[in-house]
Amino acid sequence: MVRESKHEVLPGTLNLLILKTLATLGPLHGYGIARRIEQVSGDLLELNQGTIYPALLKLEQMRWIRTKWSTSENNRRAKYYSLTPAGKRQLAKEEEEWERTSSIVTRFLNPAEK
Amino acid sequence: MTSLQIFLSRLRALFQRRKLEDELNDEIQVHLEMQIEEHIRQGMNPDEARYLALRKFGGVDQVKEIYRERRTLTFVETFVRDLRFGFRMLRRSPGMTTVAILSLALGIGANTALFSVVDAVLLKTLPVEKPEQLVLFEWQSGRPFRVSGMSGTSNVAVPPGHRGLSMFRNDVFQQMRKAQATETENPLSDLFAFGPLADVTVKVGNQPEVTKGQAVSGNYFAALRVQATVGRTLADDDDRAGASPVVMLSYQFWQERFGGNRGVIGQQLTLNQQSFTIIGVTPPAFNGTLQVGYSPTFTIPLAIEPLLKGERSNLGGVWWLNVMGRLKPAATQQQARESLNSPFQTAALAVMPPPRKSNQPAQIEVKDYPQLIVEAGGRGMLDRRKAYAPSIYGLFIVVGLVLLIACVNLANLLLARAALRGPEIKIRLAVGAGRWRLIRQLLTESLLLATLGGVVGVLFAYWFKDALSAFTNEDTGLLPGGVELSLNWRVLGFTLGVSLLTGVLFGLAPAWRATSLDLNSTLKQSGRSTSSMSRLSKGLLVVQVAVSALLLVGAGLFIRTLHNLQHVNLGFNQENLLIFAVKPEQAGYKEEKLLRFYQQLFDRLDHLPGVRAATFGKVQLIANDNFINDFLLPGETEATAAQHETMRQMVRENYFATMEIPFLRGREFTVQDNESATRVAIVNQTFQKTFFPNGDVLGKRITNNYKKREVEIVGVVADTKYMSQRDDIEPLLYTPWKQEATDIGKMHFALRTTGDPAALANQVRQVVHDLDTNLPVTEVDTQSGRSETTLAQERLYARLFSIFGALALALAGIGLFGVLAYSVSQRTKEIGVRMAFGAQATNVIFMVVWQGMKLVLLGLAVSSLIGYVLIRLLNSQYFGSDSWQQRMKQQLYGVTIGDPLTLLTIALLLTLVALIACWLPARRAAKVDPLVALRDE
Repeated sequence: MVRESKHEVLPGTLNLLILKTLATLGPLHGYGIARRIEQVSGDLLELNQGTIYPALLKLEQMRWIRTKWSTSENNRRAKYYSLTPAGKRQLAKEEEEWERTSSIVTRFLNPAEK
Repeated sequence: MTSLQIFLSRLRALFQRRKLEDELNDEIQVHLEMQIEEHIRQGMNPDEARYLALRKFGGVDQVKEIYRERRTLTFVETFVRDLRFGFRMLRRSPGMTTVAILSLALGIGANTALFSVVDAVLLKTLPVEKPEQLVLFEWQSGRPFRVSGMSGTSNVAVPPGHRGLSMFRNDVFQQMRKAQATETENPLSDLFAFGPLADVTVKVGNQPEVTKGQAVSGNYFAALRVQATVGRTLADDDDRAGASPVVMLSYQFWQERFGGNRGVIGQQLTLNQQSFTIIGVTPPAFNGTLQVGYSPTFTIPLAIEPLLKGERSNLGGVWWLNVMGRLKPAATQQQARESLNSPFQTAALAVMPPPRKSNQPAQIEVKDYPQLIVEAGGRGMLDRRKAYAPSIYGLFIVVGLVLLIACVNLANLLLARAALRGPEIKIRLAVGAGRWRLIRQLLTESLLLATLGGVVGVLFAYWFKDALSAFTNEDTGLLPGGVELSLNWRVLGFTLGVSLLTGVLFGLAPAWRATSLDLNSTLKQSGRSTSSMSRLSKGLLVVQVAVSALLLVGAGLFIRTLHNLQHVNLGFNQENLLIFAVKPEQAGYKEEKLLRFYQQLFDRLDHLPGVRAATFGKVQLIANDNFINDFLLPGETEATAAQHETMRQMVRENYFATMEIPFLRGREFTVQDNESATRVAIVNQTFQKTFFPNGDVLGKRITNNYKKREVEIVGVVADTKYMSQRDDIEPLLYTPWKQEATDIGKMHFALRTTGDPAALANQVRQVVHDLDTNLPVTEVDTQSGRSETTLAQERLYARLFSIFGALALALAGIGLFGVLAYSVSQRTKEIGVRMAFGAQATNVIFMVVWQGMKLVLLGLAVSSLIGYVLIRLLNSQYFGSDSWQQRMKQQLYGVTIGDPLTLLTIALLLTLVALIACWLPARRAAKVDPLVALRDE
């Protein structure tokens, strides 16, 4: 079976992915976020799950997410992350950035339209 | 904003390390468990599930590491870790650590104590508002002017380029003040004056005592913006000729004599038999603005000064006032000078007659007019501060040298230890630790040591500064009397700076070397290291030896100087002589009454039990006291010749016999030599040799320029020392007291006693008190004690150099011992080999000792070189007679700087100590058992 090569997560986009995940799914613990990212990307994204934690720390330091210890589905004490209003704004901004960047690149790659 | 937020959260995280660490562990744990569960649900077995979960996670420790670094301020954490590590390393070798901390503490403590002196004498500003606005006035003139100062009249010429004179006349000051006050544009907001009043008798209760105070212009306290602690300050209204006499007390005087009783306001205080009303007390830290160390106990208005001094009032034309001003906010010193120069010149020229030399023209050119100079006044009177600067800085250098030696010592020891840790460090470097990181760690250790040394050093500094205060006083010229030394923030800041600097200095070299040695050579346990003492180590030892040698030579020279001075032939017998002084004019005695008082006093003293003979003289011998007159030789007039100078003395008839000064020719004074008889004089041999070289002096008449009196010389006595033990003998003219009724004033008594002179002091005080309760007895001492005090500076230098020299030598010795001991331990195998090949114990001892002595000899050579250069420097013609170099040379007496005996002795002493320091480890080397040594391969 030919294994499709996995793509590495582009540096910097991890923030976006995390924020989006939290926006979509609401408060979630670290494991949940990591799994969600893997699933949504169709398991095509090679992600060392552990790298999510430093990223989450950074987002917390920037006050875009907040944390709370709570009980999970299977009765475990886990740290839950949720978006703050500032985080929502940051998400919107980054989405817009991403759109703009990708549209520029797309236009470059499809020069046919005159 | 965000970076600040991040910084803050990192800072917070610093304090919650444990908790956050646990949280992270929990979080990761939970993550893994959940992933494992999912895998199990997908059908894997627990082991596979776990394995895959871990793989998916990535490196747990790596993640933790990255997380940690982001979480806190890493550099703070590493610093704390280094600190802990450093503490552990120091604790491991407690012996070395203690020696290191102690030697650093001694050096830092001594430097701190001295810096507190520098601070108190040279740096501290006056405790007034905005001292930077204060300016000090002085003046110069290109041409000599005849000026009446506080200690007599003389010709003054202070050409530009030299320090100006800071004394002003009252009328000159008043003119300047008028100019400043009337000119609205004047850059000064205030101009004020103040002058010292020394030797004033104050009577508190029944006891009269002599004290010193000051007279100030009415706006003094207003200009300084100083408030009274109790009562009110002097004001312009008090400074008027007819105003009611008022006085302010100093805080200390108020506390000591009046017990801090607020009720003193309104009471009367008797100064020189005059009554003054106490109106206030100055603040505790305020010591006036006069010379450093001169703390006035009382302050009176300028206009009232004549009440105190009577005829001798300084307001009548004496140049005695210091003048200062306060600048307006935007004004400059230059503006102040320009605004007042003219009024000053006009006023000064009006009162200054040109000098009385007949060969000088009467007309003065404009360029030679007296000129005003302005200086910063924030520190009060600077003259004496500047005079102290060289000796203080000199001492500072010496102490700095001792600290240097301590550092060098430590660097040496640390170098040795760093080499021991060589392999460990190499391994750490090899597995990837950054070199800079390692250096930081080693530096932290030395900084830790230095800081500990600094803290203990502050403790030492407390003792040292108290010792410094106790052991120095006016006479040593090192510390002015009455200066309070405190370890304020400036001084402590200095301590901190010095500690850090020493830490870096002695830590950097070893740290650098330890981390830069060639990887190969130390990883292997090589048999023979190329040199078991690195060149740096050797260099440091040489420096230590050289510095110790220089300090010890200094000590030797000063000890010999002191000894020489103590055994100089004074020309009179100073044993069993009780001395004291009285100034009856202060109690109102004058002329006739004064002579009678002294006679009465002598009548009692002559019959006091324990007193063999009582006499007095105007000038106290061997106390840096003097009295000089000009005179003309027979046949000379003012028009034909320049004045000659002679030292003077006024004595009682039995002076020479009592003082045991050999009388040589002619006749002594008798009681018949009184006001009605011919004026006579007796001269010393030097006077006769200088002015009458053919020996024919008896019967000659000279004209004393002071009051133009003619005196006939009737006798010649042997020479004596006059001002101090070291001065050259000058011509001296004695006159009998009964013929000096108008000028006799204060006299210094000398009582030859049968037993211990000090035992009679109280009885003498009682005798004077019985005669007049208003008359204090001052300067009570024994003559030999007084002479010793005159040598205070020499004694201090001898002591200080000895202490520091000994300290330096001890440190050098320890250093030598340490380094050699280490070297021996490194060369055990080599020694074993040698002994196996037939070397005797003595050979080994010689080898080790020579290794050390080579360095010592080199050190001695270096110090000789430095010494030689120093001598050449001091002897060179570059430096004027005023410079510190010349003054350094004049410190010695009876020895030259290059004195061979001293140099040889010190060299021998050093060699001896070094030999012992070398011999101890050598002995250990000789005990090496070759078999054991070789087996340790």
